[in-house]
Amino acid sequence: MVTGKDTLTIALSKGRLAEQTLDLLQAAGYDTSCARSGSRKLILEDEKAGLRFILAKPADVPTYVEYGAADIGVVGKDTLLEEGRRLYEVLNLGFGACRMCVAGPAWMAGKLDGIPNKRVATKYPRIAREYFELKKRESVEIIKLNGSVELAPLVGLSEVIVDIVESGRTLRENGLEVLETIADVSARMVVNRVSLKMKSERIGALVAAVRAEMARTGVKG
Amino acid sequence: MGDWRFHTPDGVQDGLPDDCARKRAIESALRAVFAARGYLEVETPGLEFYDVYATGRGLAPQEALFKLFDSQGRILALRYDGTVPVARLAATLMKDEEPPLRISYVGGMYRSAGAGGGKQSEFTQAGVELMGPRTAEADAEVIATAIAAARAAGVESLQVAVGQVEFFKALLEEWGLSEEDAEPLPGLIDAKETLALEEIADRTGLPAAAREALLLMASFEGTFDTLDRMEALTRSPRALAALRNLRDVLRLLEEDGLLRYVSVDLGMLQSLDYYTGIIFKGFTYGIGFPVLSGGRYDNVVAEFGRALPSTGFSLGVNLVMAALRRQGSVPPKAGPDTLFGYDPSVRARAMAFVAQERAGGRAVAVDVQRRSAPELRAEGARRGVARVLYMDAEGTVR
Repeated sequence: MVTGKDTLTIALSKGRLAEQTLDLLQAAGYDTSCARSGSRKLILEDEKAGLRFILAKPADVPTYVEYGAADIGVVGKDTLLEEGRRLYEVLNLGFGACRMCVAGPAWMAGKLDGIPNKRVATKYPRIAREYFELKKRESVEIIKLNGSVELAPLVGLSEVIVDIVESGRTLRENGLEVLETIADVSARMVVNRVSLKMKSERIGALVAAVRAEMARTGVKG
Repeated sequence: MGDWRFHTPDGVQDGLPDDCARKRAIESALRAVFAARGYLEVETPGLEFYDVYATGRGLAPQEALFKLFDSQGRILALRYDGTVPVARLAATLMKDEEPPLRISYVGGMYRSAGAGGGKQSEFTQAGVELMGPRTAEADAEVIATAIAAARAAGVESLQVAVGQVEFFKALLEEWGLSEEDAEPLPGLIDAKETLALEEIADRTGLPAAAREALLLMASFEGTFDTLDRMEALTRSPRALAALRNLRDVLRLLEEDGLLRYVSVDLGMLQSLDYYTGIIFKGFTYGIGFPVLSGGRYDNVVAEFGRALPSTGFSLGVNLVMAALRRQGSVPPKAGPDTLFGYDPSVRARAMAFVAQERAGGRAVAVDVQRRSAPELRAEGARRGVARVLYMDAEGTVR
């Protein structure tokens, strides 16, 4: 909990994002071998380097960081928007890029605003609610689903969906298309608000090293 | 229906003896710091009319107030913070008191849905308000008091980030952005989302200096050089005055030898409707939330009908306790320092002896089960009380 003045705890989003993050940190000059042992441990520590990685479910990464259980986290912007935690968002790492969209049957294109009392199926109830209620000033019914959201409009559970779109292939194969884009999302490095003050030198050095590596490989962060 | 009788509601906690003893000790230390600086403690009610917090643009978010109704159907709110009730007090019962008013408080605050510091619904805050003077000296005095308070509460590694919200407000005015473009800026700067800020700067065609100022505010390498660089990026007299005020406060803190606790963060932009100048937050290891926060709020007392520019801070006692625990400081065992038993035939003498001991500052627990000396010593060993005394039938204490 922002303890150990000498340890920097980094929360990684389990899966491909964790791999990409470790690759980036390795390239930026950090020894990440402790996190690549392939074990099933959830905490991977390099005591000598004062570096500790924790592997968490992506949706939980912002929580670990907000409470200070991790100083730094790497997580998708979609998760950050959905969780709405109070964090510093210091870097856009560029990878994991996709779009948060409103999607629905093709005939709805350009007619979305004319459909009253829409039902919106989504894994991201908060993002959907904020988009429709705050930005479009429209009351909608949010239906929370946990996966295969594309199914909802096909079986009449909802008129539209709010979901992450990478290539758009799943949508097309199910006769849906992007109607509106809510936000561009990609992996972000977030920092706990206290950690940034209490461990400013180490965190500053890490951010600078990652930024330099991204500049070298031509990623705009 | 669930059976909740064994539970406490979300966000509230029982305080067991060891923790409670430490908490009282911290509160006493804080009261001593405040009193030594001339702050007078007041007690405001645990219940306020909802209107107290709903005044103006809202002094507290509606959804975080615990609300109930009185017998006439009026909406009440549990005390949400220390400052707003004190502001009400300063403008009503204390309206004839000449400024400066130096007021302190220690008390429980209530915020629903875990909106309080450290996600608690009930927590204790201790703080001061310095009301009347609109000077850098007043701002520095309050920050110095906050540092002294945190130190007295046992916080060793303390970092206080100091910002200036008036500076940002003045820049906004200088840039002349539309309300729509300006609206997301404080949140984005506060979260240090530089990329989104760049996008807005590009889209609105902000001049280069304004763009640089925006990104500098959001950068997290905020040091004293930041102020020099900022000065070159604005021509607004209002913004420059705000920077000068921040410099003056920092210089005063330097003279007091407190600069080692202080850093600059012009990107702290929270509660912009509430704060009007210097704003600060204090951090330590062991807890992911600031343990203290404060700043200048020149327009709050005016909501209650008295123009009284003010500055103040509050410290979260529970947050400090959590931080101390996680920093490895275990509260000392609470309990009496003496266990005392006696032969029933000499009760009067025994009680006189106990009264004497207590007058001498001892915390004496007296046996009420007529236990023998050996039984009592066993009890002392079990409870970790080293001093066990017994008065025998002859009146001898051993």
